[in-house]
Amino acid sequence: MLFVHEVHKVVGKAAARFEDAYRNGWMPTLAEGSDARLVWYFDLAHGSGLAYRTVTVTAVRDGAAWSRLAERLASGDLQSWARDLDGLQHESVGRIMAPLEWSPSIGSLDDIPTEPTEHEPTIYMEDTMWPFPGQVRRYIEAAGNIYQRALGAEGSQVQMHIELALQSMPGAGRYPEVTLMQKLSSLPPLIRLLTQDVPPEVLEPGSWMHEALDLRDQWRSKLLRTAVWSPLP
Amino acid sequence: MLFMHETHKVIGRQASAFEAIYRDEWMGALAQGDDARLVWYLNHTMGSGPAYQVVTITALTDGAAWETLAQRMLSGDLNELAARLEASRYEVRGKLLTPVYWSALQQLELADVPTDGREHDLSVYMEDTGWPDSTLDEYIELWDHEYWHYMRQIPPEKKLLDIQACFQVAHGSGIRPEAILMQKIMNFSTLGGLLTSVEVHDPTTWPGTYMSRALELRDQWESKLLRTSKWSPLW
Repeated sequence: MLFVHEVHKVVGKAAARFEDAYRNGWMPTLAEGSDARLVWYFDLAHGSGLAYRTVTVTAVRDGAAWSRLAERLASGDLQSWARDLDGLQHESVGRIMAPLEWSPSIGSLDDIPTEPTEHEPTIYMEDTMWPFPGQVRRYIEAAGNIYQRALGAEGSQVQMHIELALQSMPGAGRYPEVTLMQKLSSLPPLIRLLTQDVPPEVLEPGSWMHEALDLRDQWRSKLLRTAVWSPLP
Repeated sequence: MLFMHETHKVIGRQASAFEAIYRDEWMGALAQGDDARLVWYLNHTMGSGPAYQVVTITALTDGAAWETLAQRMLSGDLNELAARLEASRYEVRGKLLTPVYWSALQQLELADVPTDGREHDLSVYMEDTGWPDSTLDEYIELWDHEYWHYMRQIPPEKKLLDIQACFQVAHGSGIRPEAILMQKIMNFSTLGGLLTSVEVHDPTTWPGTYMSRALELRDQWESKLLRTSKWSPLW
């Protein structure tokens, strides 16, 4: 399975219509076939970054399925939908990603909900990392062996777990680039992280924060809130 | 057909090694199959933009061929070669392109693309990437009716650019709306005139009224002057 990750710079006045295009257009249209499903519809939480940014993640069965979808959008039955969407966003930046070998699975494509059932919004911390040249392999291994396990340990700084761990596919985004979709299970630890200094022990030699600096020192976190109808919360 | 367009930010000291890997190993590795070929290896000309940037374009039969190639690079038989390329650059940014409906280049016969590194003269391309405020379709149609149509009328002796291909970004693999023109520079003295002209490109006087109409749809684009290597399969 592959994942099309898109960041949309939405026209502010058209934000509701943009969301409607995904909820009542994209999601049910994909559900008519077996090639692709909308997985997540997120808004970048106001107050944490750029305004009117939406992130969508669409799962596609494989490269052939993606190619069929791309053709429908460029010149097929979805061309008019894409054309309408152009009027609702300033631009979108997309990349196609593959799950890391240790990534949890979101399950089968066929099991992803396609009805806009409402649920409580969920906060995700989406971290995107750019390992140093030649270090992506080591970084991915270390993230799986050390970071993922540390998140699950008692006393973890932030209570969240990785729902999906991805890397950009060659030719379809920036490379190397790794993105972790991390679901928060509790808000207070996040507030502590945002408002207090990082404890010294977290930065000491032997810690993930310290040792991982050999592999990367640039990443970006986004706080994303699922729409109440997002197929996966 | 898909075209994998990659812009490599190469480590300066590794530039020769990077090119050698592409020429001596990568091109040949793709040539062992029948669904992918390196078609262009282009250096961003120094003096016209960023240093040590290389653009490569790989033709692929379809989406399945792209996925197969990408997976071979991530974890298959091309992983070691991809790792050596990775160690020779800071980063690479890729996008998957499809020809627009009016592009002269639609399908390439992959079997006919040279894979032996044969040498030839150098050529220079002006790669224009535009980001319209309008819908992508309207921009592509504008290029067809107002630019492509006009450029084809110019007699060969006066022609600055030969539009060899026009692409749009395939879903989810880059920026939308974005479209790209691959234009081979046919006359370097005319290029010199373009670069040194102090003429204000008043839409009412510069050629025809394309500039004027185009401003209704976009005012942001980027031109890159890309010089083929002497062994680039297409040039």
